[in-house]
Amino acid sequence: MRPQALIAEITHRCPLHCVYCSNPLAMQPRGGEMPAGVWTRVFREAAELGVLHVHLTGGEPVLRPDLEEFVRGARAANLYVNLITSGIGLTEQKLDALIDAGLDHLQLSFQDAEEEPANEFAGARAHARKLALAEVVRARQIGFTLNAVVHRQNLDRLDAIVAMAERLGVDRLEIANVQYYGWAIENREKLMPTRRQLDACVAAVQAHQQRLQGRMRIDFVPPDYYARYPKACMGGWGRSLMVVDPAGFVLPCHAAGVIPGLTFDNVQAHPLRWIWEESAAFQRFRGEDWMPEPCRSCDRRHEDFGGCRCQALLLTGNASATDPVCSLSPDRKLVDAVIERANATSVNAPNWVYRIDPA
Amino acid sequence: MTAANIPRLTRGCRLSEDPGQGWVLLIPEGVLRLSGPGPRILRLCDGAHTFGDIVLALGAEFAGSDVALVEAETAAFLDRLIARHVVVLE
Repeated sequence: MRPQALIAEITHRCPLHCVYCSNPLAMQPRGGEMPAGVWTRVFREAAELGVLHVHLTGGEPVLRPDLEEFVRGARAANLYVNLITSGIGLTEQKLDALIDAGLDHLQLSFQDAEEEPANEFAGARAHARKLALAEVVRARQIGFTLNAVVHRQNLDRLDAIVAMAERLGVDRLEIANVQYYGWAIENREKLMPTRRQLDACVAAVQAHQQRLQGRMRIDFVPPDYYARYPKACMGGWGRSLMVVDPAGFVLPCHAAGVIPGLTFDNVQAHPLRWIWEESAAFQRFRGEDWMPEPCRSCDRRHEDFGGCRCQALLLTGNASATDPVCSLSPDRKLVDAVIERANATSVNAPNWVYRIDPA
Repeated sequence: MTAANIPRLTRGCRLSEDPGQGWVLLIPEGVLRLSGPGPRILRLCDGAHTFGDIVLALGAEFAGSDVALVEAETAAFLDRLIARHVVVLE
């Protein structure tokens, strides 16, 4: 079993307060953040395990004044270095220093194509600054992805989001429906799309993919509540990805901290290889031994690995249950009830719960 | 694909050696494993070589090979990568 990518949450601090932030509700404080030197060692250990990509994310990674050192350390370990950023605080000078240090790719998040709603979802006046930065990034020779998070309140502007990505000249557009963990579950009623929106979105994405083939790649993350079968969350537990949080705790998934009874080991106390191969958290849902029926005897278990453990916990109270998104799950009615409510009610002027900053 | 086309790797795509596993193309969200002449072709997708140059170089390297076949297979390989937006034509 070889991990392919390491997701490095180097800080949980962020100037944005997105209503669907994927960070845990319980965040690591600034005081617990590991120095860049320790991260450099982690990147080396990750490369020795077979990792090829590192995704520097947060919070907002640009808040770390030593970010350049992270990039240099990861490249020295022969990793592909992707920076996932809101762009806030990333000056032209800082960007060039990161590129000189070996940055391969930058992923810039957008909340909408229109300024007012974009700033509303982000809880910050960020949109205009992102647009300005996008032009600076596009003038550089690094890979550039625009990530747009979509949901009930902006799906009707999908065409405008694609047009914005085209105008900005990005190489790749990621249209990602909100996933309901962390802060997003606090705002689920306001974010859950209707079936009409989803159908229109899927058709529009397909048309744009076809029209832009060879010019801009569009990747699409559907809202899994509407799916028949669950997503292969994280490519399977402990199968291809690991997340290291700002304090050095290693998790099989961003949200795994919500699962009761799991303890996470720290890179400052153990070699990364031991954590990946042997630690209890990574073993807990690896493989098939943990699976209940209907997963255990299902042919799809090699494709979706039973779906998402955090979602099973959040919706059924049991992290070992089949992902309730699955139409074969005895708990599918829980998901159907959420969808039914979303399609029966209207949401005007949502009263958002905004992500707060760690101490 | 014509002989004058200049294929090059899309920004953010990089050839790399995966120790003990051969050459890979690192792309923003994944890895493409390369075999046969794949790495050789992509090293020439540097913005300086035309498709014609690449076919010539491969033909010279694999002496005795059928040039038409080299051309057809190289074009098919590059077309697949263009469809994924991993290679672009200038």
